[in-house]
Amino acid sequence: MCGIIGYIGTGDVLGIVQQGLQNLEYRGYDSAGIALNNGSLSVYKREGDVETLRSACPTDSTATSAIGHTRWSTHGPPTDVNAHPHTSCDGDVAVVHNGIIENYETLQAELSTHTFRSDTDTEVIPHLIEARLAAGESPLQAIESTTEQLAGSFAFVVTIAGDERLFAVRKDSPLVVGHSEDGQYLGSDVPAFVEHTKTVSYLEDGDIAVLSPNKVEVYRNGRLIDLERTTVDWEASAAEKGGYEHYMRKEIHEQPTALRQTISGRIDTEAGSVDLELDLDASYLQSLEAIQIVACGTSYYAGEYAARLLESLAEIQTTVTVASEYTTTGSQDTWNTLTIAVTQSGETADTLSALRTAASAGGKTLAVTNTLGSTVTRVADESCFIRAGPEIGVAATKTFVSQVATLALLSVYIARQRETLTPGKATSHLEALRSVPGAIQQVLDAEARITAVAEEYAESDAFFFIGRHLGYPVSLEGALKLKEISYDHAEGFPAGELKHGPLALVTENTPVLAVLTDGAQPEKTHNNIKEVQARGAPVIGCSSLNDDRLLDEQFAVPDVGLFEPLVANVYWQLFAYHVAASKGRPIDKPRNLAKSVTVE
Amino acid sequence: MMKAAILAAGEGRRLWPLTQHRPKPMLPVGNRPLLEYVIEAVAAAGIEEIILVVGYQRSRIQTHFGDGDQWDVDIEYVVQERQLGTGHAVAQLQPHVDDHEEFIVLNGDRLIEQTLVEAVRDAPTDAAATVGVTRVEDPQRYGVVTTDGDRLLNIEEKPTQTSSQIINAGVYRLSPTIFEQIEQANRTADGESALTTAISDLAADQPVGVVRYSDTWTDVTQLWDVLSVNDDVLARRECPTTGVQHDTAVVTDRVCCAADSTVGPNATVNRGTALGTNVSVGAGAVVSNSIVFPDATIEPGAVVADSIVGQNVTIGPNTTVTGGTATVTIEGTQYEDITLGAAIGDNTRIGGGVVIEPGTIIGDSSTVGDGAVIQGQIDSETTVVRG
Repeated sequence: MCGIIGYIGTGDVLGIVQQGLQNLEYRGYDSAGIALNNGSLSVYKREGDVETLRSACPTDSTATSAIGHTRWSTHGPPTDVNAHPHTSCDGDVAVVHNGIIENYETLQAELSTHTFRSDTDTEVIPHLIEARLAAGESPLQAIESTTEQLAGSFAFVVTIAGDERLFAVRKDSPLVVGHSEDGQYLGSDVPAFVEHTKTVSYLEDGDIAVLSPNKVEVYRNGRLIDLERTTVDWEASAAEKGGYEHYMRKEIHEQPTALRQTISGRIDTEAGSVDLELDLDASYLQSLEAIQIVACGTSYYAGEYAARLLESLAEIQTTVTVASEYTTTGSQDTWNTLTIAVTQSGETADTLSALRTAASAGGKTLAVTNTLGSTVTRVADESCFIRAGPEIGVAATKTFVSQVATLALLSVYIARQRETLTPGKATSHLEALRSVPGAIQQVLDAEARITAVAEEYAESDAFFFIGRHLGYPVSLEGALKLKEISYDHAEGFPAGELKHGPLALVTENTPVLAVLTDGAQPEKTHNNIKEVQARGAPVIGCSSLNDDRLLDEQFAVPDVGLFEPLVANVYWQLFAYHVAASKGRPIDKPRNLAKSVTVE
Repeated sequence: MMKAAILAAGEGRRLWPLTQHRPKPMLPVGNRPLLEYVIEAVAAAGIEEIILVVGYQRSRIQTHFGDGDQWDVDIEYVVQERQLGTGHAVAQLQPHVDDHEEFIVLNGDRLIEQTLVEAVRDAPTDAAATVGVTRVEDPQRYGVVTTDGDRLLNIEEKPTQTSSQIINAGVYRLSPTIFEQIEQANRTADGESALTTAISDLAADQPVGVVRYSDTWTDVTQLWDVLSVNDDVLARRECPTTGVQHDTAVVTDRVCCAADSTVGPNATVNRGTALGTNVSVGAGAVVSNSIVFPDATIEPGAVVADSIVGQNVTIGPNTTVTGGTATVTIEGTQYEDITLGAAIGDNTRIGGGVVIEPGTIIGDSSTVGDGAVIQGQIDSETTVVRG
């Protein structure tokens, strides 16, 4: 989704903002722009990538502050005119904006003397500010009164000719301030400026920030407040490719490390216990009637994996709902239901909306996310972090494994509190989880073979992923990865469902990829493999059996119990990656997709 | 600002099975790869731009070092697709260094101090190349250097007889003229080109300087060298013991436990031992003078001495690796009186109650059944059961 960067200070203003835009590329975008302020404003914007914008910009500048934006189109097509920053009639106010202004048409109508150039909702903001300034208000007053008129979810940053300061407003759309000796930064997320500072402050809804080279003033409910600073432990290197062709491949290889961080300090195999530092006590968990998980995309599949663990280990009825489909109905006992929102970014609009709906119905809420300080952590009663480190590739990889591992820890925790799992059994599941990083490394060590198989089947008509129980969510995730980055037709099905319809699609040119490990009922799925082989389809299987003669290609999965399907998923990630790579796809920025989906 | 190139593309076949899935520079001593010490020495000398020449199993290097920010350096990767010698590796640098700019070249698998890097960098600039040299006890294992004052005359690789104890320390300052020398230099019978041949050729008609160095210089040639270098690093450097140790566990000095390792009740971790991340040592187990790679599990009651335990290995309950000395055969050569309990490749599973005799080498992904008694060398992906 759209990205914001702002900088004021003594550093190389133009270079910092251009670099910031490059850092934000991973979010997905179709146009970009910059406004430089050196007393007067100069605005440069282009449809296309940051490199195109760079060639339209001057090579150096005397500006002392600047704002930049990457746009992912919602209102109006990707064009030079619709790119941000947007300006007032006289060109003295420039604005970059994330989110949606719902009442922009009404506001535009009220500004009848103003000329609007773009199709965007954003453009009303600089015009409103211009009108307020003309009426004699100070810049801060003008921004405050403009904000009061806006309806919707937004974060925006304003620069004004003749005033070197930057002004930022946050409402329901994330905005982070970075502090350094050489100046102050604004970003829609931390990677925008992480190579310059790791000292940050997260703005809250309704905050207005005023940035000067050496200080940031924040007004909350009209009063100046002391802004809390925190240090992020993100390495800037984690936001760079480190010798890999794509972030996705780098992130696939980071999975053993990410997973060790996820479980670090949280398990005690001697006692068979888990500590997630959650304020969910035994009596509450024992009284729970149901758990509902809300999530989108890959997080939704992690939720599906977790639901099967929660039901079998903690003996609690668990439903998983695509967040945009979530509604509360009379069928739920909201008081005795725990709602878990799973979102990598913590900013997914659909998931936030579902979580707010659930919270307003009266139940407890828990966020499972990768992002400290994200919106979901403020909306939910409790938060649990997956600790995967920053993920830049649009196709989620390491965050899936860390989400499932975190949710597995949560399942064991709840099961122990509800006394549905003995310490001995908990220990064996936790030891299996501890073995997953090493098992995944074994898969990574087999990459050359996976590459060969992927290249052999790359030109197939379609790909069908099948599995049962824990193998089913992995089949859905495997198919999602492949379609996201290779643009091939790929679908995941419960293995038993094939014969109820999808089997009609199977031919000798549609490979079937099957999860045949522990936790995925492999004996039953063998029958489905025979069904597709009878139609001539080649079968590629991830199996924990030593020698599975049925399969055309077999990938070995080490013995890690309930987590074998999770290890199998790494084979599917690498398969998808190498199919896409063989076709020369833009793997880190697939067409039409965005990393953090902040619109509903 | 001078750049430094570090050669880290080689496999290190003599160190099998440890190098089955990782290049030699990624072997951990004191819980950090050899290459990390080299990068630290370069960074400490104030060099900020590093080129890593990578090839064999390069993803291991790239995943660990990324773009180098954690070490405050910028790392650029140059891929040597086929490993055709050090000369060939250096030739890959040509597009990445400026036409008239000198650069430093180092080996990625030798422990050195920043002073050597500084001395080579700051040596007089009238020479066509500068070579760091050091004195060792066993020069015939290395490139022996003959000099005339501060001028290098020749480097002879692994001579059978030598009167000199001065060897090439593997740190060079080169100018782009070296690329032409490498091009022209004779190759070995296997088609490999050695950087030292090109430097010797260069010395025949232009001045090549030497810089003498007498601080730490450690090479890892054989499996058992990894253990002694590990012990040496633990003795000389700060190495954090974190992770979780049970109240009744005993962890001595000169031990390094990674943050996510656990040591169970009544277990003992003795001197010279490094436990990697996510390693678990079970109740009552004893580990002495050993390197345990990440994700490995040593089950309750096991005894492991003088050993290198690969990544994700499981050593079953009450299994004993006695340790001590043995005669070990590597690539047809016998080495006597070698301190080595066992070297165990990645992902191998050793059952319960197994006895492993000194000097045993086990490949990766093998399985040893309960109660077996093993010795000698066992291949990868092999199953051994009690006879």
